[in-house]
Amino acid sequence: MEKEKIKITNKLGLHARAAAKLSHLANNFNSNIFLIFNGDKVNAKSLLGILTLAASVGNDITIEAEGDDESKAVSEIKGLFERKFDEES
Amino acid sequence: MKIKGVIITHGELGKAIIDVADSILERKSDIECFRFEWDEDGTIIEKKIRAFLNKNKDSGIIIFTDMFGGSPANLSLRFNRPNLEIITGINLPGILKFLTYKEKKISFKELLKIVRDGARDGISIISEYLGDRKNGKRKDQNNK
Repeated sequence: MEKEKIKITNKLGLHARAAAKLSHLANNFNSNIFLIFNGDKVNAKSLLGILTLAASVGNDITIEAEGDDESKAVSEIKGLFERKFDEES
Repeated sequence: MKIKGVIITHGELGKAIIDVADSILERKSDIECFRFEWDEDGTIIEKKIRAFLNKNKDSGIIIFTDMFGGSPANLSLRFNRPNLEIITGINLPGILKFLTYKEKKISFKELLKIVRDGARDGISIISEYLGDRKNGKRKDQNNK
């Protein structure tokens, strides 16, 4: 299992479009992928699931993946957070 | 089986839901949209829907309407064929579920349930939701 904690740095946090990008990316992997925040654990492949976290800028969130491509999944999802979901230049 | 969506609502509601869903997903969805005019008896729109159904004979069809008992839903009852279902009271979470699950390897029946549950679970009283969260009783919604 691969796990990594990351800070949300984009202004709007995990809003609808960011959640759509994240779930779209997560769906490319075979691994089961979860986001953990505030005691809640949701399926990172579910757009509406991600939205229920209501996670904002400054919050720390944990990405957890388990499967044959778990390392790649966590690293690419981390990259998307670090790129601020490509919504801020 | 390919699955096609059709949304039939009063006024601009259906188009607005699709426009917003497309903005979120950053793609153009292929949901057909029919607007029910207040002063029409349904004849024109019925013809358009029949033409759409004829064009998509081999597809599973889900007709989304705005409200159970409303004219768009009542009109939809005139169509009857295998693999055609109507989901009433559609909202943005429901359409997002449809658009993100329709290409997945799931049955037509499963898709219907996922969309219905997604639309239902998308309605929350926030104070209750946050209370459940605090007490660790949060329902595992939208988590499929």
